[in-house]
Amino acid sequence: MALSRRWFLATVPLAGLGACSSSRPLVRGGAGPLEVASSKAAGAAKGMILVAMPETVQTREVWTGLRDELARDYDLVAVRIEGPEAVADLAAAMARYQPNGVVLMNNPTVAAYRAYQQQCGQQRFPPAVVVMTSFFDGHLPQLVTATGISYEIPLITVVTNLRQVISSPVEKVGVIVRPSLRGFVQRQAALAAREKVQVIEQPVSASPNSSEIKWALRRLKHHIDALWILNDDRLLTPRLIVDGWLPGLNERPYYATIVGAAALVSPHQSFGTFAVLPDHTALGVQAAGMLFDLADNRWELPAGAPVQLPVSTTTTVDLVQVRERFSLRADGLQHVDRIVE
Amino acid sequence: MNEPQREPVPGGAEPRLLVFLHVPLKQRAFQGQLQAALPGVSVSAVGRPADFERGLEDRPDAVLTLPIVLAAHHLAATLQGLHKGAADEPYVLAGVDAAPDPARVVTVGVIDSLGRDGMAAFVTNLLGAHPKIERVTKVEDLLPLLQLQRVEAIVLPARLLEEVAAPSRLSLVARPLAPKVGLPAVASLGGGGGPIVQAVRRLPGSVTGELGVNEWR
Repeated sequence: MALSRRWFLATVPLAGLGACSSSRPLVRGGAGPLEVASSKAAGAAKGMILVAMPETVQTREVWTGLRDELARDYDLVAVRIEGPEAVADLAAAMARYQPNGVVLMNNPTVAAYRAYQQQCGQQRFPPAVVVMTSFFDGHLPQLVTATGISYEIPLITVVTNLRQVISSPVEKVGVIVRPSLRGFVQRQAALAAREKVQVIEQPVSASPNSSEIKWALRRLKHHIDALWILNDDRLLTPRLIVDGWLPGLNERPYYATIVGAAALVSPHQSFGTFAVLPDHTALGVQAAGMLFDLADNRWELPAGAPVQLPVSTTTTVDLVQVRERFSLRADGLQHVDRIVE
Repeated sequence: MNEPQREPVPGGAEPRLLVFLHVPLKQRAFQGQLQAALPGVSVSAVGRPADFERGLEDRPDAVLTLPIVLAAHHLAATLQGLHKGAADEPYVLAGVDAAPDPARVVTVGVIDSLGRDGMAAFVTNLLGAHPKIERVTKVEDLLPLLQLQRVEAIVLPARLLEEVAAPSRLSLVARPLAPKVGLPAVASLGGGGGPIVQAVRRLPGSVTGELGVNEWR
């Protein structure tokens, strides 16, 4: 029986960074990681960068930003990491490409890389830059030698964008928050205070029902200029949206609602007024900047290297809702990337 | 209001104008403004150096960009934008609460027109120093660099400072920089370049104002 390339790669001892020295083979059989894109440096490559990602429109945009910045100096390869073979595919890719640096896109990829590191045991790993991972703002998700860019748009940026579009003041922002995300909200509030934004928290239980959401909205609505709706899966179940959020949001007085998913801005339902999302190509450029810094530091992650916040955003607006309920600045729509009506 | 005249184009195809400029409005809106003001011209506006390079490979009839970008691609200006008779404009170094010292600033943000190496040289020329540079691809992204404390200061055309500061409660303080930077210019590259140059000459003030230009030479 012929050995597969993947089994071979996973079991031959490899000395460099990125090759797992575990005595236990991590992968066996199968076709190996699927290379979805690659780029060779124009001259002598200054290093190899492995990009581990699922294939989506957004990850492709991040890849574009990375490639445009790094391709002249570095060899780049993107491998598809998703599904039940994710850990095995990552292990095979690490062994095959021996990268100097790694980019990890999205939560499941980070989970697979964490499992890979744990299976490898104590050893050195190349530095990893994590992107597109939820609520990754203040701590590393139990990865060794990793930094990254958080996926949530900072509230300070959200408010600045909103101020460019609507004419009413945006000084007091309400947020409904479960206990597990209060730390995140408090860090965002501290940052937003630089822009004279006051954050009014309305805590709810860890598993709120529709009545609790409606109650929380009523508690907030007379005290705020806008509502910031967190991208918290537990708060945004279809049932809670239909039975809790929508009835609460459609009671007067109205206020602008800011969401973190374009799908929540629709002219058919007055849910999100604005969606402020990461500009994924710019996110790739920002991640490339981190990789340049790592390369300049001989591929060593400086101690305490901070997780960055995303700088560049795109804004979607529900023009029907804005026209019905708020007043637009004269040039407001010139500051919007996508108009839904 | 007079409708802009449609320029006859040799061969019948619409001449193509590639625009690589950074203005204080979204690319969607900027491209729409230019397209509406340049009937008979196919306008494509990009915001990143890599997109500009790919656009050049598609052999546009003309490009509208900064002279420093033209020079980096060995292109010559056919039509130069002017403001009050000058072909260049002042830049500033702006920080929060106090005017930054160009010689001491450690990290600066700048809009990317030339890529990593090109912008390093550009900033060094402007400041006379070698700070760490954070590049962004949109005018609006300069403010978050300051808000998030990623940089100590930002480098930008003086005319954009008010726009950048408008949605913020931060107190931005600017220090003028001595070197000036060329205003947008058009380079004619193909058969349709001539009509584009003529059409750009007739752009209304509402559009050229976004470019920092009030006449063409």
